[in-house]
Amino acid sequence: MTQLTRRHTLKGAAAIGAVTIIGDTLGSTRRAAAATEITAVEWGGDVVNAMKQIEAKQNQVKVNWVLHQGGSGAILPKIKASWPHPEYDYVSGWEGSFNGMVKEDWLVPVSVETVPNLADIPQKIIVKNAKGEWAAVPRAIGGIYCAYRKDTSPVEVKSLDDLFDTRLKGKICWPGPTQAMMLPLVALALHAGGNEHNMDPGWALMKKLAQSGNIGRIGVTDTDFSTSLTSGETSVGFYSEPQLTAVAKSFPVVRLTKQAGMPTFLYQSGFAILKNRPNLTATLAFVNHCISPEMSSLYAQVAGEAPLNVKAKTPEALKHLSFTPEEMNKYVYFPDFNEVLSQQDAWTKRWESEIAPLL
Amino acid sequence: MPQGRPVKRAYPALLLPGAAVYLGFFFLPLAGLFRESFRQFTPGGVGSAANAPFTLANYSELLTPSFAEFFLETMRISLLASLTGLLFAFPLAYWLARRLSPGWRATAVGFFVTLMFLSVLVRTYALELTLGAAGPLRPILLGVGIFPNGRGYIELLVAGGLLHYIVPMATLTLLATIQNVDPRLFDAAQNLGAPGWKAHLTITLPLCARGLLAAFLFSFTFSISAFVIPMILGKGRVLFISNLIYNRFSEVADYPSGAAISIVLFAVALTIVYVTSRQLHRRSMP
Amino acid sequence: MTGRALDNLLRLLGMLMIGGIVCFLLIPIVVTVVMAFDARAYLGPLPPPAYSLRWFRRFFSDDYFLRGLGTSVQLALLSATLSLCVGVATAVALDRGSWRGKEALTSLFLSPLIVPPVVTGFALLLFLSGLGLSNGFARLLCGHIIITVPYTIRSTLAGLSGIDGSLTEAALILGANERSAFWDVTFPLARTGIVCGAIFAFAISMDDVAVSIMLTDANTYTLPVALISSMRANFDLSIAAASVLLMLATLALILVLEKLVGLDRIIGQGVFR
Repeated sequence: MTQLTRRHTLKGAAAIGAVTIIGDTLGSTRRAAAATEITAVEWGGDVVNAMKQIEAKQNQVKVNWVLHQGGSGAILPKIKASWPHPEYDYVSGWEGSFNGMVKEDWLVPVSVETVPNLADIPQKIIVKNAKGEWAAVPRAIGGIYCAYRKDTSPVEVKSLDDLFDTRLKGKICWPGPTQAMMLPLVALALHAGGNEHNMDPGWALMKKLAQSGNIGRIGVTDTDFSTSLTSGETSVGFYSEPQLTAVAKSFPVVRLTKQAGMPTFLYQSGFAILKNRPNLTATLAFVNHCISPEMSSLYAQVAGEAPLNVKAKTPEALKHLSFTPEEMNKYVYFPDFNEVLSQQDAWTKRWESEIAPLL
Repeated sequence: MPQGRPVKRAYPALLLPGAAVYLGFFFLPLAGLFRESFRQFTPGGVGSAANAPFTLANYSELLTPSFAEFFLETMRISLLASLTGLLFAFPLAYWLARRLSPGWRATAVGFFVTLMFLSVLVRTYALELTLGAAGPLRPILLGVGIFPNGRGYIELLVAGGLLHYIVPMATLTLLATIQNVDPRLFDAAQNLGAPGWKAHLTITLPLCARGLLAAFLFSFTFSISAFVIPMILGKGRVLFISNLIYNRFSEVADYPSGAAISIVLFAVALTIVYVTSRQLHRRSMP
Repeated sequence: MTGRALDNLLRLLGMLMIGGIVCFLLIPIVVTVVMAFDARAYLGPLPPPAYSLRWFRRFFSDDYFLRGLGTSVQLALLSATLSLCVGVATAVALDRGSWRGKEALTSLFLSPLIVPPVVTGFALLLFLSGLGLSNGFARLLCGHIIITVPYTIRSTLAGLSGIDGSLTEAALILGANERSAFWDVTFPLARTGIVCGAIFAFAISMDDVAVSIMLTDANTYTLPVALISSMRANFDLSIAAASVLLMLATLALILVLEKLVGLDRIIGQGVFR
């Protein structure tokens, strides 16, 4: 240990300060010469924390973390504007954002040859492009389902009919037209005898719900939803995993993932690898590392989305997302995502003209 | 005003930097947006495809009563907030300019300036926490018979949120104007027998017309393009035009439709701004 | 009711109204300060059950936020300065003379405020990318200038209004040239408007999110964008801590200016004091 005299410490501090300032001015901090640098877009909060821990467990790649700025759709115009020279090596997303990127043909097809750990991921869930090739690498699944705060909800919700209970006046937080792929609307359709191809029964039920006055807030962003529940403004919601987990951290939440009559939807979160980037091999290697069994478990632990790698362990806190084959058949509904995603625009406009005026 | 003096020659040159900035950073990009609004959007894509055909569909689908309703609601609440803001800001600015000692005035101005640095997102959430449905005001509201989750209260809250941003801005703007109004004119009017309120109405207000217009236009344009305030306080139920536009700039990625709505808003609002300015200009000419 | 009595009544109402407004304006400041010390990791109903310094600690320890702060301040200073120069020049040009279409042009200069910021950002992104400009800071600068210039123009116009043209005439008659007449006569009298415009520009630049989101690149981002991105699942109260710090910094700056120069002299007292 060198002497910790005041002069030494000040000199050291000045040196560090100088390097940081210079590094900052140049727009990037120095990276170790050995590792390849890639730029990745991830969600903030627990997700990027998990990914940083995963990065620390390997040394081939150093990642410049860029955060999603307000929803996974905000990055899309930037990629489009700079195409064919994107700035990012991979973008994390889910079905909602993968769809657009696949249609625009921005993604590198993946396979078991380039990403070996894909062999341990259930193939059914992998998003495919127009040619039938695998287009994105899934890493975890989350749920979209109904849940309520046990301590403040006046009703123990057991079916979608309970949402119309007059005791729930102003107590429901329902997702708005661009949230959760509008799957809660599909849930209403299923309840009324329709499905994602025949949505009219669902719209009729949604109108009734809007008119009932039970909806306190329409969630327009992710944080909208969790804040509404934590502040006590509403008590019941139909939303996606990360928000419900956030609420569950501080309040007793009943998650209706295994409730007869209440459909649960599963979505994937994963990696979309962009074309025309210089470090494709390094990116593929890093992505492969991320979906290994150990890293999948680590991700599940920290980020709160259930692992997809069949060899990974699902933590206790996510048991509501692990289904036996019978449970999967009974409670989980797999919509035709192609239909759902291509209808988002039409459903949004229909919401604005038919539902919004009733709220 | 100087008439026909050689000084006028310098002024067109002064307009050049402004013209360059506006052309390069606003009107040309807006032209690009205008072009995008005529492109066809294929659901599932990100924006319009590179060679998408031109179409009027993005505009024709706005010809619905519900869209007109959103427009009117945005205009209505914005107008309410702007006029109320002026009503509050003018006495406040007057008091600041004429009745406070320089020391206190500096403090008051300091307060308003500090207020402008309070993030819009945080202050809106703060208002929601205090005045909203889950706030400490809830029992009082219910006692008085106002349902805090009802639409009327939410609209009021959105206007209140807008006001919170408008009042400091308008006060500071009006301060600048009032300081340039001769207080002796007011004294003279009172000496001639006019009561205070009449003197203000006929002397002070007309002389501040330029400043009042500026304050109104700031407030109105801020309100109609407001996004965060209606999003949080409107609970997703009171929707402003910018919230509709935001829906189209999300993963739905229907940029042509978003562009179309923006162009319509731009045209309507610009007309209102122009007409209002013109009317006031005419009214204040001797 | 006599004119005097009505006057007194109105004055009383006016004072009550001012009192009410000041309270209304104070509420979010107080609540923000409370939120910044809230020990809970989510936004919960008031009052908080426990207090803590965690958000301030998090703000200062996270390099991500501090980098954003640095970029934000640089950007705000630069864009406010440029915006002010352009704004004052334009306002002076608009104030003199009365030519046809002047009112229309003045309205047109307000137009960036009419377009929702997310659209301005998007349009700029497409345009600048089309030109090949991909540097984040440059793009952000363009965006921040265009959203602040309307304020500097209008505010300066408001400050210039009411200044008697004969004052400038007198200066010119007494031998000053145009530039001297402006800097020594017009500028001090319009100073309140100009300074207000500068303050608006700086504040708006520091707080902007919607335009900035569209224009950041992989290496450059502003503080508000950084704060928003850290909120994925739940409301991150670091934003309240950042707001408190920003307000304190503003307050400190104001106190320093007051002591050194006198706030009154900077803000100006207009023509009549």
